[in-house]
Amino acid sequence: MSKAMEKKIHAALQDKRIQDAFQTWEPILKFISRAAGLGIDYEAARGKIHSVKERCIDESPQLVEQFKRVAVEAGAQIYEAKTGQDANDYILKVASDNGVKSIVKSTSSLAREIGCREALEKVGLEVTETDVGDWIIQLANEKPMHMTATSCHITIEQVTSLLSRASGEKLEAEPQCLLDATRRTLRKAFIRADMGISGANIAVAESGTIVILTNEGNECMVTTMPRLHVALVGIEKLVSTLEDATVILRLLSRANMGMKLPVYISHISGPSIADSSPTALGTTGQGPAELHIVLVDNGRSNLRQLHEFREALYCIKCGACINVCPVFRSLGGQTYGHIYQGGIGTILTAFLNDSEIASDLASLCMGCKACTAVCPAGIDIPGMITRLRAKIVTEKGLPWTKKMAYRSILGNPGRFDNAVRAASFPQRPFLDNDGMLRRLPPPFASLTNTISLPPIVFRTLHDRLKDFAKPREAKAKVAFYAGCVCNYAYPELGMDVINILGRYDAQPYFPPGQTCCGAPAFYEGVIDTAVSLAKKNIAALEVENPDYIVTVCPGCAAMLQKEYPRLLGNDLGWKQRAGKVAGKIRDFSQLVTELSPSAGKKAARNKRITYHDPCHLRRGLGIYREPRQLLEREGYEIVEMEDSDVCCGFGGKTVLEYPELSDSVLQRKLDKIIAIGVDTVVTNCTACVLQLRGGLDKRKSLIKVMHSAELMAVEGKQLTLKTGD
Amino acid sequence: MAAAISDLIEQFQNEAGQAGAIVQIASVESKVTTLILNLSCEYKARHVVISGSPLANTCRLKEVLVEAGVEVIKTALSEQPPGIDDAKALTDKPKRKYLEADLGICEASVGIAETGTLVITGNEGDERLVTILPRIHITLLNADNLLATMEDAVARLKSGFPADPGHRIPRYVTYLTGRNTTGDIPGALTARAQGPEQEYVVIFSKGTGGG
Repeated sequence: MSKAMEKKIHAALQDKRIQDAFQTWEPILKFISRAAGLGIDYEAARGKIHSVKERCIDESPQLVEQFKRVAVEAGAQIYEAKTGQDANDYILKVASDNGVKSIVKSTSSLAREIGCREALEKVGLEVTETDVGDWIIQLANEKPMHMTATSCHITIEQVTSLLSRASGEKLEAEPQCLLDATRRTLRKAFIRADMGISGANIAVAESGTIVILTNEGNECMVTTMPRLHVALVGIEKLVSTLEDATVILRLLSRANMGMKLPVYISHISGPSIADSSPTALGTTGQGPAELHIVLVDNGRSNLRQLHEFREALYCIKCGACINVCPVFRSLGGQTYGHIYQGGIGTILTAFLNDSEIASDLASLCMGCKACTAVCPAGIDIPGMITRLRAKIVTEKGLPWTKKMAYRSILGNPGRFDNAVRAASFPQRPFLDNDGMLRRLPPPFASLTNTISLPPIVFRTLHDRLKDFAKPREAKAKVAFYAGCVCNYAYPELGMDVINILGRYDAQPYFPPGQTCCGAPAFYEGVIDTAVSLAKKNIAALEVENPDYIVTVCPGCAAMLQKEYPRLLGNDLGWKQRAGKVAGKIRDFSQLVTELSPSAGKKAARNKRITYHDPCHLRRGLGIYREPRQLLEREGYEIVEMEDSDVCCGFGGKTVLEYPELSDSVLQRKLDKIIAIGVDTVVTNCTACVLQLRGGLDKRKSLIKVMHSAELMAVEGKQLTLKTGD
Repeated sequence: MAAAISDLIEQFQNEAGQAGAIVQIASVESKVTTLILNLSCEYKARHVVISGSPLANTCRLKEVLVEAGVEVIKTALSEQPPGIDDAKALTDKPKRKYLEADLGICEASVGIAETGTLVITGNEGDERLVTILPRIHITLLNADNLLATMEDAVARLKSGFPADPGHRIPRYVTYLTGRNTTGDIPGALTARAQGPEQEYVVIFSKGTGGG
């Protein structure tokens, strides 16, 4: 959380150019995401890329040596640059040694990373970006708004004005006219250029080849027309063989643009020679006389040594992740500060460029996991973000307010419980007649500007289930882990769960020792608190040796099932205990279907509902069929809304830390719910219920938000329990 | 065997077509020259550049075009050295001959059916200039060199120079799929960008229908 980032968020959300651009691009980005996997086994293909990158990053030093040897044999000149500055200095030297005045450049995120163009322009060299998008933002003097669609936020009027000035012609705001002028002007730049600078998407060690993917054709000119070609290649780009390269080529354009292949893939393995045999040397062909390959480290070999973050080097810079990231969709790429964007950009910026802003960037991620679900290299981006936060907390510590909140309060179950219950008193003056909180005072005011909140109950679910602390006689022994939202805000939901499971001959009990799952601490990077809470919960849940542990919040379920074993991985005893507990975790809908495998379908209710996939349930735990099957079995007709699996915006901390950002994401979700035209949206996450209900209330919508358990309970509450509620 | 090739040709046509190229088939050499003469007429070509192409040589493409009143320069210095003036014009900085060419004709070493891709290879770089600078680009492809997959193409590239001790792949290997495009001009999502106006592919497939 940072005030500086809050301001940036506000600015981006208010920036009409950005918001209009992404509104226009949303269907295109969706098309790309759909087209990426069309007709292929996407999972298999990205598994292959992950393996190639894993092996090649592991072998990186050997591959660099091999590449150097082979490329030099072919007459290329190799320079190994330790830093970005180093690389820029080398290029300046080549330029000055050769009397270079004019340079043309094709797209290179590495060049942006090291400020290459700026370094050259500083000494008076003319550098023209030749990719149309890159050229437009060069003329506009802006940073890219997207990794590949760099100028997507620049309006046609602005483009017309920029191109008119650059071409010296008065142009019309008409695409064909602008394109023709672009061609004419850039052609002149190609013709007068003494040097061409390119990047490289892949570098192949066995053949000393750099591989460059483009669509426009500008790169072919940059790398063939001038006498000198300088290629900037990050050392993480190295793979061993052309077959390895092909594995990457199979997904790179699909993920980037929804196309099987780009229009041009250039493989360049040396300077040009006037000979039909590739190994002949000593003559110059009609391409460059000299090929300089600058192999750039700039923090990559250090990053490679960091076992927890090495995966970031597997990135193939396709942009698939930012295309599905709800934060990126709301804010655009310039908010990420330096050059790399989105979650993976956060990691790269932190280790390659600017660790100062890392903490701010890392606070943006909502943990929805949309990125990792599409990443062609199968990188666990959200996992690295969490580890980055933990690293920052370890190195920089926490502000004392947070230290107190996490370690002293959240980490102490009794104190935490008292603190939350205590909040049920001061809230009273702010309760509306229907019991909802709609206007909290500062510092919580921004929260209730976004969503209406349920009141905190004093008599929690824990209190109501005091008599159900131990299991009773039943076919299945089910422990109920409710989570904080259910316990403190929606205890009736907890009662619904108990009732419904009773119908399936499972008598859930409520282990009283359970406490907060620790997610808030974990996602903030306060690992010691998360570990301590993990141990407390495991101890509470394992005591009666249940068959199942049922949950209503997949955020909690993901902590219990996925994170606890990892958090306790260093201690064999605890790891085993965590593993046992993990194996018993069941989402509510999952458990109901498991307990009643042969249950028949109920009569159709002629009621249409829609279903919202919680992020942690769908992508965290892989559960999205069971909830739908259960609802259909119950006789409901599910009408799928657009973007059913896109985050609701709650994002754990996001709703508290950056309510404006949370709201931006929420509003898009609410639009889709309202558009589908049903009166009930069902979901299986108490946090999503809170967020969606709160947002719809703010919109004065009558659409009901229900957890599956609530919906199933509505049809006749069976009071099988004496709760005296 | 023949069936396999016609399947590959069909797949190639679909894929390349979707990517924006115009694919034509010739089953005899004379048809190849006819197709190119037609294009030359259609685009009122006066200047043509041709990079190294065994097929063009077999079809006597240069001679046919010259007879039709077109100026033709063969661009490969290493193969058939052009006249001294031509050599200067080809190698001087402004690449004038390529820039003023109406048609640029090259031959693909390999075609990849699964993606509709042409693999254009060379060491001089002239074939790249022929591919990117002239107004219209035509790629010739011998159907014998049409392979099924990208992996097949890589295997062919790696085996292509048996006489070479290093088994080097050519210095320039350009995969061309469809026609150049950009999405960066607002309002025109798939406009043609900085390369040729059109991409034509002429597949020479001896004896198959299309003659």
